[in-house]
Amino acid sequence: MPHNGLHRILLIARRDYLATIRTKAFIIGLVVAPLLFGGGFLGIALMESKPDIKERRIAIVDGTGVAAAAVIQAAQERNAKDLFDKTTHRQVKPRYVFETLPPGANPEVQRLELSERVRHEQLYAFIEIAPTALQATPDAAPPAGNDKDSKAGPVSTYSNAGGFDEASRWLAGSIDEGVRRVRLAQLGVDPSRLSDALAGVKVDRFGLVSRDPKTGEIREASKKNEVAEFAVPFGIMLLLGMIVMVGSSPMLSAVTEDKAQRLVEMLLGMATPFELMMGKVLGALGTSLTSSAFYIVGGTLALESMGLSGMVPFAVFPWFYVYLIADVVFLCSFAAALGAGCSSPQDAQQLAILLLAPVMIPYFMITFVMQQPNGAISTALSLFPPFTPMLMLLRQAMPGGGVPAWQPWVGLVGVLAFTLVMVVAAARIFRVAILLQGKTPKMADLVRWAVRG
Amino acid sequence: MDAVQISNVTKTFGAVTAVDNLSLIVPEGSVYGFIGPNGSGKTTTMRMIASIFYPDSGDVRVFGQQMLGARSELIGYLPEERGLYRKMAVQPLLEFYGELRSGRKVTAEVESWLKKLDLAKWASQKVQALSKGMSQKVQFIAAVVPAPKLLILDEPFTGLDPVSADTLQSAILDLRRGGVTVILSTHDMQVAENMCDYICMIFRGRKVLDGTLASIQDRYGNDTIRVAAEGGTRFLDGLPDVERVHDLGQVQELRMARGCDPQQVLRTLIERTRVTSFSIVKPSLHDIFVRIAGPEAGEEPIE
Repeated sequence: MPHNGLHRILLIARRDYLATIRTKAFIIGLVVAPLLFGGGFLGIALMESKPDIKERRIAIVDGTGVAAAAVIQAAQERNAKDLFDKTTHRQVKPRYVFETLPPGANPEVQRLELSERVRHEQLYAFIEIAPTALQATPDAAPPAGNDKDSKAGPVSTYSNAGGFDEASRWLAGSIDEGVRRVRLAQLGVDPSRLSDALAGVKVDRFGLVSRDPKTGEIREASKKNEVAEFAVPFGIMLLLGMIVMVGSSPMLSAVTEDKAQRLVEMLLGMATPFELMMGKVLGALGTSLTSSAFYIVGGTLALESMGLSGMVPFAVFPWFYVYLIADVVFLCSFAAALGAGCSSPQDAQQLAILLLAPVMIPYFMITFVMQQPNGAISTALSLFPPFTPMLMLLRQAMPGGGVPAWQPWVGLVGVLAFTLVMVVAAARIFRVAILLQGKTPKMADLVRWAVRG
Repeated sequence: MDAVQISNVTKTFGAVTAVDNLSLIVPEGSVYGFIGPNGSGKTTTMRMIASIFYPDSGDVRVFGQQMLGARSELIGYLPEERGLYRKMAVQPLLEFYGELRSGRKVTAEVESWLKKLDLAKWASQKVQALSKGMSQKVQFIAAVVPAPKLLILDEPFTGLDPVSADTLQSAILDLRRGGVTVILSTHDMQVAENMCDYICMIFRGRKVLDGTLASIQDRYGNDTIRVAAEGGTRFLDGLPDVERVHDLGQVQELRMARGCDPQQVLRTLIERTRVTSFSIVKPSLHDIFVRIAGPEAGEEPIE
């Protein structure tokens, strides 16, 4: 191979690549990173496997005289339905038991007494059903009385639970159903037919029907798989973000460390600043591609072994790699430029957040984009070059997402142009800043160097 | 052909002018020494020759070619700050540096240099296991593998023990004998006097001395008396026409004013004490350096 800039870039890339993948940190990171990223889900699964199933006693103060029984019946039906896991038959939710109380002479005193019982853990919560609860109009006037009564609705629950109180939501469902039963009974519906009348309707979701272009036959729509619809796009986007972050985030500290250890000047005697920076970027890219191959091959084999190979989105893999390369090159160049401007690893740590933004911000948009994948805002965000790799991939990976064919190509052109601009700007900053010592440049300096070199 | 030709080069960093309208010529095959106080512009000049910095104005040519940021295997560069990949083994590191500069495998050259500098048994050790002196020798090898035509050494002897310094010094002189042009900077005036064919002093970004040691000393003439006398400096106060007394311990150097009669100085000294040695000499490079860059800076005419 002729010895020119490209050869020097490849030599530097090879050294950096081998130096990285031979470290224990890389090998451990390969395994630990998905655990960290997936740790939240694992944690939830573990917590769900150890549910709190202690019996919960609820007191109902029934001002209607009839609603409590219906609420208890609805709750018992829910108990029977939700209490046990359908596959393992193991109890996974706490059983609710009830006691009914008539309204006291002084509602405030009664509430205080019941609250004390909750505080002493004799009760989990108590429910107050006002006499107006059976009125069908939602804005039924509350009973005249003290200040609390004038603010409350027809049914109130009182508990000590904070945060996401699943019990309150569960109780609300039972109360709602119980009160509606009483209302329906008052309207003359046969109480024995109420369960049938209130039973839910199963809704199946399908994609679109199409015509086979060769045979002309109409193809039936395939049933939508909710797990695949969510898990596949979410998983592949998570994977891209994880590999990009793992591949690019060490660049900032690596360049700062090389600078602090005075390695850079030695290398600059042999390679130009641009060659040095691009060598480092390509080394990091090689590391990212190695990680991605490990995860993609491993993930595909794992899904195949579980009989879920149909969920593997082979069609988006080429896009995955194009976005991965663009993202790593752009972020690593940016990191190298920032690292060149830093005088110490502490400076570099403060700037690390800038590198995370193009990956982290799209994570916050996942729900929004998945709900409206082809909405104007989702489209605009996925065509914004720093976010394109993550968000366009998310949209493309959604089964039947219906991303117009031109959008990924326009997004790709934007990403490549943006990457090129970033590499040129980063190379200019790198060249000026890499040998500066003892002074951390200001943002204005970085911008000036990026523009003028 | 001249190895290096610098014409009217200026380099600034913000408001600081590191090198100011500098011109010099480094003849091929010579050892050319840069001296000057810290921050005077020596390193910046050498970085411009190595094409690491670009001049704001002026022209730098190496073997007649403008480098314009390109890297050449003809130039070996040893920076002042030592920088090696600490976790790499010595031989693979040197082979990486050599291949990076030349584009070809340099295993044989690396092995030869490791033997020459008595580092062969450390070839497979990681750099972090080496002493400072050994690391410096490794870095020197990185600069000379494969054979450059121009070797730029920024303070190559700093921090070396006398044995290692001698080893490096003889290696540099061997290279010079083989036709390599050597540019080095040093704060050790003895090294500059002994090794350099040409000496250039840079002060506040400007060249203030340039030439052979003899030509530089000739400019100052025989204005120095080196004397050893019983009682040391006690009897040297108030000697006629003596501007400055530099106490070297066992010997003192006296700088004579223009028109000073050394015989009169000797007579006065003999009247005061017993003189064991008295000679009239040219000023040392150290003395010239101090005259230009010391507290009396500005009193001496500069080139």
